[in-house]
Amino acid sequence: MARLIRTEKEVEGRYEDVWLVVEEDALEQWPAGPGEIVGRPAQRVTGPLRARGEARYTADIRLPGMLQAAVLRSPHAYARVKKISLEPALAAPGVRAAIGPGEVEVLTDEPGFQGQAVAAVAADTYWQARAALELVEVDWGVREPLLDPDEAVRRGQLVGGPSRYERGDVDRALAEADVVVEAEYRTQTVLHNSMETHQSICEWQGDRLDVYISTQSIWGVRDEIAAALGLAPDKVRVVCEFMGGGFGSKNGANDHTFVAAELAKRTGRPVRCALTRREENLASGNRNATIQRLTAAAKSDGTLVALAGEFVNATGWSGWASSTDGPMQMLYDCENVRTTLYPAKINTPPMKAFRAPGFVEGTFGLECILDELAAKLELDPLEIRRLNYASSAADRPLSSKNLMECYRRAEPHWQRRDEVRARSEGPWQRGVGLASQVWYGGGGPPSYAWVRLGSDGHATVITALQDIGTGTATAMAQVAAEELSLPIDRVDVVLGDSARGPYAVTSAGSSTVPSMGPAVRSAAAEAARQVIEIAAQRYEQEERVLSLSDGQVVSSDGGSWPIEDVVGLLEDAQILGKGARGPNPAGMQVLTFGVQVAEVAVDVETGEIRVERVVAIHDVGRVINPLGASSQVEGGIIQGIGHTLSEDRLIDPQTGITLNQTLDAYKLPTIADVPEIVTELLDIPDEHLTNLGSKGLGEPPIVPTAAAIANAIRDATGADVRSLPISREEMLRALAEAREKEKREAPATV
Amino acid sequence: MPELRINGETHSVDVPVGRTLAETLRNDLGLTGTKIACAEGHCGACTVLLDGVPVYSCITLVHTVGEREVTTIEGLREHPLVAAFVRTDALQCGFCTPGQIVSASALVASNPDPSTDEIRHAMAGNLCRCGTDPKIEEAIATWQG
Amino acid sequence: MKLLQPSSLDEPIPSNTVLLSGGTEVVPLIRDGLLEAETLVDVRGIVPRGIDGTRIGAGTTLGELEVDPDIPEALREACRLAASPQLRNMGSVGGNLLQATRCWYWRLKFPCRLHGGDVCHARRGEHREHAIFGNDFCASAHPSDVAAALIALRATMQTNRRELPVEELYRMPSEDDRDVTTLEPGELILELDVPRPEASTYLKAMDRQRWSFPLVGVAAARSGDERRLVLAGVAPIPWVLDSPDDLESATPLPGTAYKVEIARALVRRALEAVA
Repeated sequence: MARLIRTEKEVEGRYEDVWLVVEEDALEQWPAGPGEIVGRPAQRVTGPLRARGEARYTADIRLPGMLQAAVLRSPHAYARVKKISLEPALAAPGVRAAIGPGEVEVLTDEPGFQGQAVAAVAADTYWQARAALELVEVDWGVREPLLDPDEAVRRGQLVGGPSRYERGDVDRALAEADVVVEAEYRTQTVLHNSMETHQSICEWQGDRLDVYISTQSIWGVRDEIAAALGLAPDKVRVVCEFMGGGFGSKNGANDHTFVAAELAKRTGRPVRCALTRREENLASGNRNATIQRLTAAAKSDGTLVALAGEFVNATGWSGWASSTDGPMQMLYDCENVRTTLYPAKINTPPMKAFRAPGFVEGTFGLECILDELAAKLELDPLEIRRLNYASSAADRPLSSKNLMECYRRAEPHWQRRDEVRARSEGPWQRGVGLASQVWYGGGGPPSYAWVRLGSDGHATVITALQDIGTGTATAMAQVAAEELSLPIDRVDVVLGDSARGPYAVTSAGSSTVPSMGPAVRSAAAEAARQVIEIAAQRYEQEERVLSLSDGQVVSSDGGSWPIEDVVGLLEDAQILGKGARGPNPAGMQVLTFGVQVAEVAVDVETGEIRVERVVAIHDVGRVINPLGASSQVEGGIIQGIGHTLSEDRLIDPQTGITLNQTLDAYKLPTIADVPEIVTELLDIPDEHLTNLGSKGLGEPPIVPTAAAIANAIRDATGADVRSLPISREEMLRALAEAREKEKREAPATV
Repeated sequence: MPELRINGETHSVDVPVGRTLAETLRNDLGLTGTKIACAEGHCGACTVLLDGVPVYSCITLVHTVGEREVTTIEGLREHPLVAAFVRTDALQCGFCTPGQIVSASALVASNPDPSTDEIRHAMAGNLCRCGTDPKIEEAIATWQG
Repeated sequence: MKLLQPSSLDEPIPSNTVLLSGGTEVVPLIRDGLLEAETLVDVRGIVPRGIDGTRIGAGTTLGELEVDPDIPEALREACRLAASPQLRNMGSVGGNLLQATRCWYWRLKFPCRLHGGDVCHARRGEHREHAIFGNDFCASAHPSDVAAALIALRATMQTNRRELPVEELYRMPSEDDRDVTTLEPGELILELDVPRPEASTYLKAMDRQRWSFPLVGVAAARSGDERRLVLAGVAPIPWVLDSPDDLESATPLPGTAYKVEIARALVRRALEAVA
């Protein structure tokens, strides 16, 4: 029965109270360990389409009569449009419409960052639209940009109030501690750079708007557009069948979609608006830079007595305060913790969620200062983490936590330290570091799925979900196939269309599999139940003696009938099973955990850093597809390596203009930068969580990578690297500082 | 009006000087397997072969292609690398994948059993933001099954 | 826009044209509006391509050079570590020598000195990739690995007008002339002659293992007792060091001091490699 509850919903570390209708989840979890299909490696069901270049991404859609839009974006970080004339653009060849500030809400005459949308045109071809933009006459009043986040905090210029958290009495604990370490850590601005840029095609059909969009959230886009345009939500249909990456940046409609919708309305034709790579790197979000002023204190035996942090997020012109303070509050058993988080409002492009927003940055600071503390205490870094293990979250019990088991499995990798260090040779110094991970990833209701079983014995999972490249469709096919006892090649998955399936979650916050998997399983179970009911009547059996196995309905007396014979009785008609995600365990917090061990080599003369090996051990509940899961882990680590070593969005300090908008200058890791990656997933179902016991895996693997590498660098060289990226200059600076420190601390020679 | 030889067929295209091969393939010939991700010769999503050699089609002017044979992913759909990429899970979002396979096809044509270093050297111009690189390496190393 | 595809050097090249070979530099610059031309001239029909002993056609691609076992190590390695595979397959060695700086201010059309303006934005702005030598007027860094290698190897070049050492292709930009090459309008690099040294090498520091322009590139060549060192990525043009001690007279900006340290290590290693 459907039950209306008031509950707390978590998305990427943010909680809100919502009303939810939940349906009881009556299915028992499957036993731990691999089943017939779930828990075994499965090839991506969309793999052949994608690899053969047949998958139709938003970028590939060509509607008849489609116009191309281009957006005039502010060339200034902070400015006012004193006067604008669209007339010359409207007169340009091929131009069908032009809009300016105020004609759609996303077009502004007071841009607060370089790249903010000001005007747009639609033309027959993209190059005509671009050429027309050059003709738009703008009289700019350029203002002095504020770019320093600390200065913004001093001025009280924030995008939201500072958030303060305290438990215990930090000041007293600090006064009584044996060892106190203080350090400032900095992380840089990182750009998502999904390979498919943000883009939409909008087409009006009467009062209905079809939106084809590269998105992580078809329902979120539907609601956002409907609200902004005053439409009934179901008048907006949102389609995203294949999607070329998002990483958190594609959770909303964004300026380009509203531009396309308005231009489509004015011209009566479908309009496509696609960001260029440069626009993507200005106006589609980023992982904001942070400054973290941290204190960690312990007793001489290694017991943590206080953790304190002042966190400044360089949020940008708008955005929200990602939880840079989260890991400090959650990772360790420490009675006295105090954090203050300031989301600074400055004239830089707004942040957006980026794979574990806040926690990636906060874990870098926390896990590095913990190693600095361990060094001062002459304690083993793994040991200090065990010593201060938190068996529950601060305020409520955890549904499951197996981090201690992760630590145990890390031991053989951690014990390679002596051997790795011994391989140091000449200027190449080697070392090993580790860091722990905490993050959300429990998912939650509402999420719905249908499973349709046809007379040919093929099943189709239908849900209005989007597969952003994580392999969701494959995992859903596995869950349905397992429940229906069908081979996976007899299960299709139809998703990506708000008009062709029930509501499904946003693909964000590592929530897709833990939210959708249980709904798909319950839908499949409902379909299976109907098959058995039909078989019982047709073959004059009692339902309780029938079950599904290997594509057959089997009876305990030995009879068996192929599923297609049973469903075939219906001819063209089909069985439809409906499923819903049940509630999260009441009163419990659902978190994911893990540890990574990194091995690095540092050329101490040139500052070159090579990450040679990363071992990732994560506890994310039941693993549906070990093959796809290992790919997720590798992808997280590789993005983490870019974050740690080479990626750095640079802003001109005078003008606020982004200097490296292109992929030659903004340096993603190449295949040649990738270390050996060893993935170990505990695969222990969370007994309190849904009918699957699965948590999400998209974000956990990127969380500890930077800290593990930085700690390995300290192990190799003795240098404290406290600023990301650890570029050549940062590495050489830290090495010089370490040499100075050694000189100061060395006993004076007589 | 240039004539292009693409995947064994001849096409006439009527586009202005300055148009790139990638734009022409996608917009004029409907060959959308070739992706454009940066449009300025930095990322490799648009990789095609010209006479068997990988190039960035997004900065290749279509009028300079001349007699050279263009091979796109559409001409490589039956290449064993496609199955190898699927088998080893060497794709996530898949947007860079056609370009990866096109580059890899040139590598294995000249060097059927490439070493890890050779794979990394040959594939460094195809960026993958999802981080499928280890699986791409595996797919190429085991492409013959 | 028009495209000419001459097949003989005798065909006149009209003025106000942009010459195009591999297109890896020119095509993006045209699309960005950094180069403007009514007419493009595809020179591949008139520029020799291929390797014949010490002579290298200027149309030879970097990809062809990196796999040729007979060309000197410094040049081969400079080609191998340059750009990306696709760019090496497209880009000609002649075009590589003429590539513009990667300075972001220049590429974003800031009114900088190379664009005829009166300020170097990099000097007061973000300049981690910029120059440590000759950076008073303009702090841009010359990105060509190949140029450094060729100059270290004492290569000469033949144009359609003259023969000159590769070193003399370059000039420091100045108040009166912002150009970094001595090439005249309509002048075309046709061929290189690359003497064989007894030993040579090219070492490169970059931000990632592949597909990066040099933070510091060091080309070294030795013939008999004569050693020659040339650096890439450290000055507005390829920078010849008369001796390793020249590094002590570097004039780094606050954000490029680290390059001096890298250069010291790579110069020492390069000299050891060619000893």
